[in-house]
Amino acid sequence: MAYHLSIFMENRPGKLERITKILADHAVNIRAVSLASAGEFGVAKFLVDKGETAYNALQEQNITVSKRRILIILLPDKPGAMHDLLQVLAENEINLEDCYGFVIERGKQAALVIEAEKYPQAEGALRGKGYKLLSDEELSNL
Amino acid sequence: MFWDKTVETMEEGAIKEMQLRFLNETLSKAAGAPFYRNLPVKEVKSLQAFATVPFTKKQDLRDHFPYGFLRTDLSEAVRLHSSSGTTGNPTVVFHTVDDLEKWTDQVARCLYMVGVRKQDVFQNTMGYGLFTGGLGFQYGAEKLGALTIPIGPGNSRRQIWFMQTFGTTVVHILPSYALRLFSVFEEMGLDPKKDTKLRIFLIGSEPHSEELRRQIEELYGVKAYNSYGLSEMCGPGVGFECPYQDGMHIWEDRYFVEVINPETGEAVPDGEEGELVLTTLQKEAMPLLRYRTGDLTSIIPGRCQCGRVHKRIARIKGRADDMLIINGVNLFPIQIEKAIMKIPGVGKNYLIEIKTENFMDKLYVKVEVEREIFEGTLSSLTGLQERITEELKAEILVTPTVQLAEPGSLPVWEGKAKRVFDKREN
Repeated sequence: MAYHLSIFMENRPGKLERITKILADHAVNIRAVSLASAGEFGVAKFLVDKGETAYNALQEQNITVSKRRILIILLPDKPGAMHDLLQVLAENEINLEDCYGFVIERGKQAALVIEAEKYPQAEGALRGKGYKLLSDEELSNL
Repeated sequence: MFWDKTVETMEEGAIKEMQLRFLNETLSKAAGAPFYRNLPVKEVKSLQAFATVPFTKKQDLRDHFPYGFLRTDLSEAVRLHSSSGTTGNPTVVFHTVDDLEKWTDQVARCLYMVGVRKQDVFQNTMGYGLFTGGLGFQYGAEKLGALTIPIGPGNSRRQIWFMQTFGTTVVHILPSYALRLFSVFEEMGLDPKKDTKLRIFLIGSEPHSEELRRQIEELYGVKAYNSYGLSEMCGPGVGFECPYQDGMHIWEDRYFVEVINPETGEAVPDGEEGELVLTTLQKEAMPLLRYRTGDLTSIIPGRCQCGRVHKRIARIKGRADDMLIINGVNLFPIQIEKAIMKIPGVGKNYLIEIKTENFMDKLYVKVEVEREIFEGTLSSLTGLQERITEELKAEILVTPTVQLAEPGSLPVWEGKAKRVFDKREN
């Protein structure tokens, strides 16, 4: 099971920098990041290579952090690839709660990270269509 | 059960008779102080008639600083206590040997009432010196016979070390500091329920809500009793909760209690809220007549199950000057505390800010989120924010802007908490 780290933070200068410093100090590599704000506060999500190390370090610094389950789906880096993938999810009536992507190798491979409400169905449907899902270890070895 | 059974279980008729005698004695004694020299009333025939005596206000104490209220010869006075006095002169209060003995006895009476015994180890985290919370409890607890640790405020880790090392069972503490101290227990990986012998907390000096008291009781696994006092009367020991925790008994052999409408000065019926007015009954150095405490409360009607007839006052809602007027609506900071403490997931620290925006008052309430409840989604946070807004709206009838803060990010205090910041332009 893969997860990313979800962090509650106030929307003020220096708050995000505090997090990246902790990650840098622990030699954690960030694969992707996403931010959502509700004005005065928001949630930052970090996809990292060493989840456990990062999680413990953040907790130790009294950061409000929680692990959120995700699916990391590999897809070709080409026009229409994301559309094909979303079609599979839509056909299976799977709603997304959060979603962001990153390129692994330009023109060849990308990854889409999703938080969904129905994990077993989502996984089943995607694997059924031949999509590869990344595990934690595979993520750290990218 | 009783420290002074005769006085504590006195019947209403006997109390009234005694009070009338003491009021007349106090009237004649007070006339010895420069401020009361020309008192229009020399004697009263009934307790009701005492309402003809003019009020004494805090400003009078300031205006007649330093010795205007001292009625004895300086050689009789042995102690001075004083309030901080952030604006103008501080208020000073004098004591004779007899005043100190009576005060000490009152504090011992309060402690005994809530179950403190000579086998207890009592840690007093209140400030010593001019502030009465330190010395007042020190002498009272010593008189009762408990081992008393005059540790004073601050240095949370040392507080905890003392609690553990000496097996502290009773603590006198500011309610806001009790919460702050708990977070230090947590940081040290300790659970006060398992790792200490604490059983009784005495909390006071700050208005606080019932919800906050329950929270302190749950966190520490103790019974927490509300304490009422003010330096003008002596300090702590004026009123205290009994084991039934349903209002604070004011010791009527020492104080004459009235609750008035602060606007008109007229008495309000029992059960109705107003300003507490106290008259000292046995004070020698500095008697005060109909002193307006500024504290808002009501007299709880009916007799307490504990067997004491001494009148009970409700939890202090705040001082008349704590009241906030937001676009014409009156509210007290304690109402905000009451509303937010009920909601799971809200931390122990909060802050209130009032600003002027577009010529209107705007109320901001900033609360810390508890780390444990964060499940990682923005929607759970906005849901919590809405819930807090709704609870506050229902309690204070003003719609605040609720801001969620990271745990531990709001300022903490080791003394009295400052939670209200009024930044309005006049």
